[in-house]
Amino acid sequence: MSQLTIILWMLNVIVDTSGQLAFKAAASASAEHDGLAHWKHMLKRPWIWLGVICYVFEFVLWLAFLSLVPLSVGVMLGSINIVVIMIAGRFLFKESLSKWRLIGIMLIACGVTVVGFE
Amino acid sequence: MMKRFYILGFLALIIFDTLAQVSFKFASVHAEPLAMDAAWLIRVFGAPWIYGAFVGYIGAFFTWMTLLKYAPVGPAFAASHLELISVTLISVWLFDDSLTWPKIIGGALIIAGILCLARSEDEAEKVVQADPSETLA
Repeated sequence: MSQLTIILWMLNVIVDTSGQLAFKAAASASAEHDGLAHWKHMLKRPWIWLGVICYVFEFVLWLAFLSLVPLSVGVMLGSINIVVIMIAGRFLFKESLSKWRLIGIMLIACGVTVVGFE
Repeated sequence: MMKRFYILGFLALIIFDTLAQVSFKFASVHAEPLAMDAAWLIRVFGAPWIYGAFVGYIGAFFTWMTLLKYAPVGPAFAASHLELISVTLISVWLFDDSLTWPKIIGGALIIAGILCLARSEDEAEKVVQADPSETLA
Protein backbone atom coordinates (compact mmCIF):
# COMPACT_ATOMS: atom_id res chain seq x y z
CA MET A 1 0.00 0.00 0.00
CA SER A 2 1.28 3.47 -0.85
CA GLN A 3 1.51 6.25 1.70
CA LEU A 4 -1.46 8.06 0.14
CA THR A 5 -3.57 4.88 0.39
CA ILE A 6 -2.79 4.54 4.09
CA ILE A 7 -3.53 8.24 4.72
CA LEU A 8 -6.89 7.99 2.92
CA TRP A 9 -7.73 4.81 4.85
CA MET A 10 -6.92 6.39 8.22
CA LEU A 11 -8.84 9.58 7.38
CA ASN A 12 -11.79 7.42 6.37
CA VAL A 13 -11.68 5.60 9.72
CA ILE A 14 -11.52 8.95 11.56
CA VAL A 15 -14.46 10.59 9.77
CA ASP A 16 -16.59 7.42 9.88
CA THR A 17 -16.03 7.00 13.62
CA SER A 18 -16.61 10.72 14.29
CA GLY A 19 -19.79 10.62 12.22
CA GLN A 20 -21.17 7.58 14.04
CA LEU A 21 -20.31 9.05 17.44
CA ALA A 22 -21.88 12.39 16.51
CA PHE A 23 -25.11 10.63 15.45
CA LYS A 24 -25.07 8.66 18.70
CA ALA A 25 -24.58 11.88 20.68
CA ALA A 26 -27.42 13.54 18.74
CA ALA A 27 -29.77 10.62 19.36
CA SER A 28 -29.01 10.29 23.08
CA ALA A 29 -29.10 14.06 23.74
CA SER A 30 -32.68 14.10 22.45
CA ALA A 31 -33.73 10.75 23.90
CA GLU A 32 -36.32 12.27 26.24
CA HIS A 33 -38.35 13.45 23.22
CA ASP A 34 -40.54 11.20 21.06
CA GLY A 35 -41.38 11.01 17.37
CA LEU A 36 -41.36 14.34 15.55
CA ALA A 37 -40.22 16.23 18.66
CA HIS A 38 -37.20 13.92 18.82
CA TRP A 39 -36.21 14.87 15.26
CA LYS A 40 -36.89 18.59 15.80
CA HIS A 41 -34.73 18.59 18.90
CA MET A 42 -31.92 16.73 17.12
CA LEU A 43 -31.94 19.03 14.07
CA LYS A 44 -31.45 22.10 16.30
CA ARG A 45 -28.33 20.63 17.87
CA PRO A 46 -24.85 20.77 16.35
CA TRP A 47 -24.24 17.02 16.77
CA ILE A 48 -26.38 15.79 13.93
CA TRP A 49 -24.86 18.36 11.55
CA LEU A 50 -21.36 17.35 12.56
CA GLY A 51 -22.40 13.79 11.68
CA VAL A 52 -23.73 14.86 8.28
CA ILE A 53 -20.53 16.79 7.47
CA CYS A 54 -18.44 13.75 8.45
CA TYR A 55 -20.50 11.56 6.13
CA VAL A 56 -20.04 13.95 3.19
CA PHE A 57 -16.27 13.84 3.71
CA GLU A 58 -16.36 10.07 4.15
CA PHE A 59 -18.16 9.71 0.83
CA VAL A 60 -15.34 11.54 -1.02
CA LEU A 61 -12.58 9.79 0.95
CA TRP A 62 -14.06 6.35 0.29
CA LEU A 63 -14.28 7.07 -3.42
CA ALA A 64 -10.64 8.26 -3.48
CA PHE A 65 -9.56 5.22 -1.43
CA LEU A 66 -11.28 2.84 -3.87
CA SER A 67 -9.42 4.42 -6.79
CA LEU A 68 -6.20 3.17 -5.21
CA VAL A 69 -7.07 -0.32 -3.91
CA PRO A 70 -8.99 -3.26 -5.41
CA LEU A 71 -12.61 -3.30 -4.22
CA SER A 72 -12.23 -6.63 -2.37
CA VAL A 73 -9.27 -5.26 -0.38
CA GLY A 74 -11.12 -1.97 0.20
CA VAL A 75 -14.19 -3.53 1.84
CA MET A 76 -12.01 -5.81 4.00
CA LEU A 77 -9.79 -2.95 5.20
CA GLY A 78 -12.95 -0.92 5.82
CA SER A 79 -14.07 -3.49 8.41
CA ILE A 80 -11.64 -1.94 10.91
CA ASN A 81 -14.25 0.84 11.33
CA ILE A 82 -16.42 -1.58 13.33
CA VAL A 83 -13.56 -2.18 15.77
CA VAL A 84 -12.67 1.50 16.20
CA ILE A 85 -16.32 2.49 16.75
CA MET A 86 -16.82 -0.20 19.41
CA ILE A 87 -13.68 0.87 21.27
CA ALA A 88 -14.68 4.55 21.02
CA GLY A 89 -18.18 3.66 22.30
CA ARG A 90 -16.57 1.93 25.26
CA PHE A 91 -14.70 5.09 26.28
CA LEU A 92 -17.18 7.82 25.32
CA PHE A 93 -20.54 6.19 26.05
CA LYS A 94 -19.43 3.62 28.64
CA GLU A 95 -20.71 0.79 26.46
CA SER A 96 -19.69 -2.59 27.75
CA LEU A 97 -17.24 -4.86 25.95
CA SER A 98 -18.55 -8.34 26.62
CA LYS A 99 -16.55 -11.53 26.07
CA TRP A 100 -17.97 -12.10 22.58
CA ARG A 101 -17.40 -8.48 21.60
CA LEU A 102 -13.74 -8.69 22.62
CA ILE A 103 -13.26 -11.93 20.68
CA GLY A 104 -15.02 -10.41 17.65
CA ILE A 105 -12.90 -7.25 17.81
CA MET A 106 -9.68 -9.28 17.99
CA LEU A 107 -10.68 -11.55 15.10
CA ILE A 108 -11.56 -8.57 12.87
CA ALA A 109 -8.32 -6.77 13.79
CA CYS A 110 -6.30 -9.93 12.93
CA GLY A 111 -8.20 -10.35 9.65
CA VAL A 112 -7.60 -6.72 8.62
CA THR A 113 -3.89 -7.07 9.47
CA VAL A 114 -3.59 -10.20 7.31
CA VAL A 115 -5.35 -8.46 4.38
CA GLY A 116 -3.16 -5.38 4.93
CA PHE A 117 -0.01 -7.43 4.28
CA GLU A 118 -1.36 -8.48 0.90
CA MET B 1 -44.13 -16.68 6.92
CA MET B 2 -41.84 -14.65 9.20
CA LYS B 3 -38.89 -16.79 8.15
CA ARG B 4 -39.44 -15.92 4.51
CA PHE B 5 -39.66 -12.22 5.45
CA TYR B 6 -36.28 -12.39 7.21
CA ILE B 7 -34.59 -14.22 4.35
CA LEU B 8 -35.93 -11.77 1.76
CA GLY B 9 -34.98 -8.84 4.00
CA PHE B 10 -31.40 -10.06 4.55
CA LEU B 11 -31.03 -10.79 0.84
CA ALA B 12 -32.29 -7.31 -0.05
CA LEU B 13 -29.85 -5.78 2.43
CA ILE B 14 -26.89 -7.67 0.97
CA ILE B 15 -27.93 -6.85 -2.61
CA PHE B 16 -28.30 -3.11 -1.84
CA ASP B 17 -24.95 -2.99 0.01
CA THR B 18 -23.22 -4.87 -2.81
CA LEU B 19 -24.77 -2.57 -5.42
CA ALA B 20 -23.49 0.46 -3.48
CA GLN B 21 -19.90 -0.83 -3.25
CA VAL B 22 -19.71 -2.05 -6.85
CA SER B 23 -21.12 1.29 -8.06
CA PHE B 24 -18.56 3.16 -5.93
CA LYS B 25 -15.76 1.18 -7.55
CA PHE B 26 -17.10 1.78 -11.06
CA ALA B 27 -17.48 5.49 -10.24
CA SER B 28 -13.87 5.70 -9.03
CA VAL B 29 -12.54 3.82 -12.06
CA HIS B 30 -14.51 6.07 -14.39
CA ALA B 31 -13.22 9.25 -12.68
CA GLU B 32 -9.53 8.28 -12.87
CA PRO B 33 -6.98 9.75 -12.49
CA LEU B 34 -7.57 10.55 -8.83
CA ALA B 35 -7.08 14.23 -7.99
CA MET B 36 -8.53 16.31 -5.19
CA ASP B 37 -9.99 18.92 -7.50
CA ALA B 38 -13.27 20.02 -9.09
CA ALA B 39 -12.53 18.23 -12.36
CA TRP B 40 -12.35 14.89 -10.52
CA LEU B 41 -15.66 15.56 -8.75
CA ILE B 42 -17.24 16.54 -12.08
CA ARG B 43 -16.06 13.24 -13.58
CA VAL B 44 -17.52 11.40 -10.56
CA PHE B 45 -20.95 13.03 -10.79
CA GLY B 46 -20.98 13.13 -14.58
CA ALA B 47 -21.23 9.34 -14.87
CA PRO B 48 -24.28 7.28 -13.82
CA TRP B 49 -22.35 5.02 -11.39
CA ILE B 50 -22.38 7.31 -8.41
CA TYR B 51 -26.19 7.40 -8.52
CA GLY B 52 -26.20 3.61 -8.34
CA ALA B 53 -24.23 3.99 -5.11
CA PHE B 54 -26.89 6.40 -3.78
CA VAL B 55 -29.68 3.97 -4.66
CA GLY B 56 -27.76 1.17 -2.93
CA TYR B 57 -27.18 3.24 0.24
CA ILE B 58 -30.75 4.51 0.47
CA GLY B 59 -32.17 1.05 -0.24
CA ALA B 60 -29.87 -0.52 2.36
CA PHE B 61 -30.84 2.12 4.93
CA PHE B 62 -34.58 1.53 4.62
CA THR B 63 -34.19 -2.26 4.45
CA TRP B 64 -32.03 -2.10 7.59
CA MET B 65 -34.57 0.04 9.49
CA THR B 66 -37.42 -2.30 8.47
CA LEU B 67 -35.45 -5.39 9.44
CA LEU B 68 -34.47 -3.92 12.81
CA LYS B 69 -38.14 -3.41 13.62
CA TYR B 70 -38.85 -7.13 13.36
CA ALA B 71 -35.62 -9.14 13.34
CA PRO B 72 -33.30 -9.72 16.30
CA VAL B 73 -30.42 -7.26 16.02
CA GLY B 74 -27.66 -9.92 16.10
CA PRO B 75 -28.45 -11.73 12.84
CA ALA B 76 -29.40 -8.39 11.27
CA PHE B 77 -26.00 -6.95 12.23
CA ALA B 78 -24.19 -9.96 10.80
CA ALA B 79 -26.20 -9.86 7.58
CA SER B 80 -25.46 -6.16 7.16
CA HIS B 81 -21.73 -6.96 7.04
CA LEU B 82 -21.82 -10.20 5.07
CA GLU B 83 -21.71 -8.19 1.86
CA LEU B 84 -17.98 -8.64 2.35
CA ILE B 85 -18.38 -12.08 0.75
CA SER B 86 -20.63 -11.00 -2.12
CA VAL B 87 -18.52 -7.90 -2.88
CA THR B 88 -15.31 -9.97 -2.91
CA LEU B 89 -16.75 -12.61 -5.25
CA ILE B 90 -18.21 -9.98 -7.59
CA SER B 91 -14.86 -8.13 -7.61
CA VAL B 92 -13.18 -11.27 -8.88
CA TRP B 93 -15.74 -11.45 -11.67
CA LEU B 94 -16.09 -7.74 -12.61
CA PHE B 95 -12.73 -6.18 -11.70
CA ASP B 96 -10.36 -9.15 -12.12
CA ASP B 97 -9.43 -9.05 -8.42
CA SER B 98 -7.44 -12.13 -7.48
CA LEU B 99 -8.40 -14.41 -4.59
CA THR B 100 -5.05 -14.55 -2.81
CA TRP B 101 -4.40 -16.44 0.45
CA PRO B 102 -4.10 -13.27 2.59
CA LYS B 103 -7.52 -12.18 1.31
CA ILE B 104 -9.13 -15.57 1.93
CA ILE B 105 -7.64 -15.96 5.44
CA GLY B 106 -8.14 -12.29 6.38
CA GLY B 107 -11.70 -12.29 5.04
CA ALA B 108 -12.53 -15.49 6.94
CA LEU B 109 -11.16 -13.97 10.20
CA ILE B 110 -13.22 -10.80 9.67
CA ILE B 111 -16.40 -12.82 9.01
CA ALA B 112 -15.73 -14.93 12.14
CA GLY B 113 -15.31 -11.69 14.11
CA ILE B 114 -18.57 -10.29 12.76
CA LEU B 115 -20.39 -13.50 13.76
CA CYS B 116 -18.99 -13.12 17.31
CA LEU B 117 -20.19 -9.49 17.45
CA ALA B 118 -23.61 -10.60 16.19
CA ARG B 119 -23.73 -13.15 19.01
CA SER B 120 -22.86 -10.51 21.59
CA GLU B 121 -25.62 -8.22 20.25
CA ASP B 122 -28.10 -11.08 20.57
CA GLU B 123 -27.12 -11.69 24.19
CA ALA B 124 -27.34 -7.99 25.03
CA GLU B 125 -30.80 -7.88 23.49
CA LYS B 126 -31.98 -10.87 25.50
CA VAL B 127 -31.05 -9.02 28.68
CA VAL B 128 -32.89 -5.86 27.63
CA GLN B 129 -35.89 -7.61 26.20
CA ALA B 130 -37.93 -9.27 28.95
CA ASP B 131 -40.59 -10.35 26.46
CA PRO B 132 -39.12 -12.75 23.89
CA SER B 133 -42.07 -12.48 21.52
CA GLU B 134 -40.04 -13.02 18.38
CA THR B 135 -37.91 -15.93 17.33
CA LEU B 136 -35.77 -16.52 14.30
CA ALA B 137 -36.22 -20.21 13.77
